[in-house]
Amino acid sequence: MNNLQERIFKIIIRLLTLFSLLLLAFIIIFIFRESLVFFEVVPIYKFISGTKWNPLGPPDQLSILPIILGTVYVSLVGIVLALPIGVGTAVVLSSYVDERPKRVIRSVVDILAGIPSVIYGFVGLLVLVKFFEIKLFFPSGESVLAGGIVLAVMMLPYIISTCDESMDKMYKEYSQYSQALGVSKSYMVRKIVLPRSKKSIFAATVLALGRGMGETMAVMMVIGNAPIMPKLLSKTQTIPSLIALEMGMAEVGSLHYHALFSGGFVLVIMLLIVNILLYFIENKMDI
Amino acid sequence: MDMDDRIRDYIFKIWIAFSAITVISVIVYIFGYIFVHGISSVDMEFIFSQPKGMPIGTEGGIFPAIVGSIYLMLIACLFASTLAIATAVYTVFYCDNKRIEGIIHLIVKCMAGIPSIVLGLFGYTLLVLNLRLGRSLLSAGITLGIMIYPYIEVRIEKILREADKDIIDSSYALGVSKFHTLFKLILPLYKRDIISVITLAGGFAMGATAPIILTGAVLFAPVPKSLSSPIMALPFHLYILTGEGISLEKAYGTALVLILILLIINILSIVLTITGKEHN
Repeated sequence: MNNLQERIFKIIIRLLTLFSLLLLAFIIIFIFRESLVFFEVVPIYKFISGTKWNPLGPPDQLSILPIILGTVYVSLVGIVLALPIGVGTAVVLSSYVDERPKRVIRSVVDILAGIPSVIYGFVGLLVLVKFFEIKLFFPSGESVLAGGIVLAVMMLPYIISTCDESMDKMYKEYSQYSQALGVSKSYMVRKIVLPRSKKSIFAATVLALGRGMGETMAVMMVIGNAPIMPKLLSKTQTIPSLIALEMGMAEVGSLHYHALFSGGFVLVIMLLIVNILLYFIENKMDI
Repeated sequence: MDMDDRIRDYIFKIWIAFSAITVISVIVYIFGYIFVHGISSVDMEFIFSQPKGMPIGTEGGIFPAIVGSIYLMLIACLFASTLAIATAVYTVFYCDNKRIEGIIHLIVKCMAGIPSIVLGLFGYTLLVLNLRLGRSLLSAGITLGIMIYPYIEVRIEKILREADKDIIDSSYALGVSKFHTLFKLILPLYKRDIISVITLAGGFAMGATAPIILTGAVLFAPVPKSLSSPIMALPFHLYILTGEGISLEKAYGTALVLILILLIINILSIVLTITGKEHN
């Protein structure tokens, strides 16, 4: 009886595990299969190198170079803004704050990570975009810059928690020695904690970059969604926002429909490259 | 310290102080902004009535969206935690092959890296179109479940791995089966931590918009009667109210309600973890 129960349980566990793992295969196969139909009509190198996106035009007007660049550009702006602030905050958190408030601040940062992206987009649209248009007289507040700033805020929790973790270790390891030597705290942080956290700062950057490139709602609500070559202060389009906006309108089975899948496929490949980079930083690189 | 270094030290201190102040201000600003603007439109009627008006949403409340979001969260949690607990139990207790374990970890990591909009795309073709589930509560819930599966799996595996080895070994030594050790010992002992993880993941599912745009969320639907009905959801409702310029006032209210529900979920999860620690 007991034996039977055990055997059945084992089988169920195995089946469920297998099913979960197959999900990934399903996702990749489906996305690939649906994009393949498109790549048979428009070769992939034309798709990623052409500059026109016009779903109503001929097939050769379905290409996404400006959208790829927009995706990368918005994320890079986000990283450039978030990195110094995130690392600075992690320094304060790891080396200058006592245990108790530290725990409180960490859970607040966690909550920041839990705010839905649509809320960031909402506040970004009403505060940031409006500010650009009314106070700074930009022709369009919806821009790469607006998307970058909103993304920066969303990246902060990731950067802070990744860096804080390793800096905390460094600080605990060296603080006694440096106190004994009479070295000031800021000197020690600058000469030991920061340089030794290089690796985790790098890892945090790549992680945040990946998050940024895959982000849909927050970015979509503040960038204006125009598939043109991205400039810092003009409208742009990213792959996730393109899919979210146009998939509902695309007729199932049409070339437009398959082109959107191809966009998703290109996005997954881009993220794969970023993740492989992260893997090498974590395991192979010695800095 | 020479002069140069003193200046560098000064700049360093300004930099870290500026960073910390910026982060704190941003947090306070976002919460403050939504609270101040949203509080006036949230009342009993807003929470407990249907959206009304022309175009719909300009008047009335968001009750179907609140219920829809809670249903989505429950389905996502049910789907994801069944699979995640099974995967975690398998890797920790049944899998003796290091290579298979490595492959499982790699796959889970890959799934965690897939952007939510691509999951939405997948849910749309497989569930909505191929399996003919339509744009429904079930399609959207499962898509969200796939999204939170890696999050739950990683954390439950960690809990199981850090479980007291002595208890497990003694149990095996007494001839108790793996099945009984798991269900009578390990799972009850770490129940609170596990539920805490699932709750937190449920919060993520509830706040996500991208996966449900294509798979089930609609502008207006009554409280769902079955798994195959299309649903309203708070984040999608907020997006539509703002994106289509329907009603800013209602959008503020929706944002506030969404944030408050998520805060409650977060606090619940923290309380569960703390009492779980005391319990053990």
